[in-house]
Amino acid sequence: MEWTRRNILLGGLALLGAGAFQKPVYAQASSYFAGTAVDNGVTFRVTNFAKIDKQWHRQVVKYFSSEPIGTVVVDTRHHFLYLIMENKTAIRYGVGVGRDGFKWFGRATIDAKSLWPLWTPPPEMRKRHPELPESVAGGSPKNPLGPRAMYLHRDGVDTGYRFHGTLEPWSIGKDASSGCIRMFNEDAIDLYQRCPIGTAVQVLPHIADQAPPVTEVNAVE
Amino acid sequence: MPASTGYKSRLLAAAMLLALTACTTTDVASVEEPPAAPMTGQTNDPAPGFESVKTGSEEDFILNVGRRIYFAQDSAKLDSVAMATLDNQAAWLNRNPSWLIKLQGFADDSGSESKMKTLSQQRADATMAYLASKGVDARRMWARGYGNDREVRDCTERSCKVQNRRVVANLRAQRDES
Repeated sequence: MEWTRRNILLGGLALLGAGAFQKPVYAQASSYFAGTAVDNGVTFRVTNFAKIDKQWHRQVVKYFSSEPIGTVVVDTRHHFLYLIMENKTAIRYGVGVGRDGFKWFGRATIDAKSLWPLWTPPPEMRKRHPELPESVAGGSPKNPLGPRAMYLHRDGVDTGYRFHGTLEPWSIGKDASSGCIRMFNEDAIDLYQRCPIGTAVQVLPHIADQAPPVTEVNAVE
Repeated sequence: MPASTGYKSRLLAAAMLLALTACTTTDVASVEEPPAAPMTGQTNDPAPGFESVKTGSEEDFILNVGRRIYFAQDSAKLDSVAMATLDNQAAWLNRNPSWLIKLQGFADDSGSESKMKTLSQQRADATMAYLASKGVDARRMWARGYGNDREVRDCTERSCKVQNRRVVANLRAQRDES
């Protein structure tokens, strides 16, 4: 096996991830949530945005580019996701980027999306964490996809790339050990409402330029 | 000669001003709304009006509710996603009773211009009826279909076409007929 810097980096991330998994940060978690809300019959914990750095809050910003209105642009390097609006503006969301979020870049469309999706841990994650079940029901408080998932396809083929919610609001704005593009649950719900099936997405290159081609990327989460 | 230099720099300044004006273009989509002043500054600066968003303002509506709902091809039926956005719009409008609401329907699906006009009107009407069913006073609302006029942009690819099959809710302080 050829060891690249990326492999080593991912190995390091995996170790970090394992540590985080075994020691949940309960004290930290409590202040990151403020009460509960109900969405489509599921009760979930509401993000305490007072605790979140303002730069990761959903906001309308200037956005100078030639991307057409309605396009989603993901900047994994800076942990922002933009939905392009009229008059050189965009709604900007803070995101966390899991290692699968770095596996791919390019253009795709949102061809499927779901409410409170079922989570199937990818095989390599179950290898690291044998205690994980084969799948976690949608709406479970242990389901890391949260309330929404949006699935990116290219020419009708699933890229394995997704936007989804999170159980860890403190990970927004950071690189995370697992997942693709994670958003505050409130933001995942918001983006889902604004992106019709067929929405164009551009994921800007990050370390994905060292990633395997799309055909080798397995569906994750 | 100093006088000549002054003249030259004034001429240069005038030329630069002209060049700047020539760069100003109007996006097709801006016909939904009056064209905004050309934007200056940088990506990631707060958009004008969004520096600090007040509850009940138009900016609050845009950021926290959303103005747009989308439709399937050749359909004026509200799907569950559209209804979820309209539920939020209705709740917001009921909390902020001074705003009026203009519903603009659009279509660029298959069919003649007159068919598109009808479809876009049906989309706007369905939206208005739904908001009324959620308690928004019908006297605060009016609906108009624009057919395939005022598209986001003229296009053939799917990701562009889905943007054109929409109803946009525009807040208004008073009635207008445009």
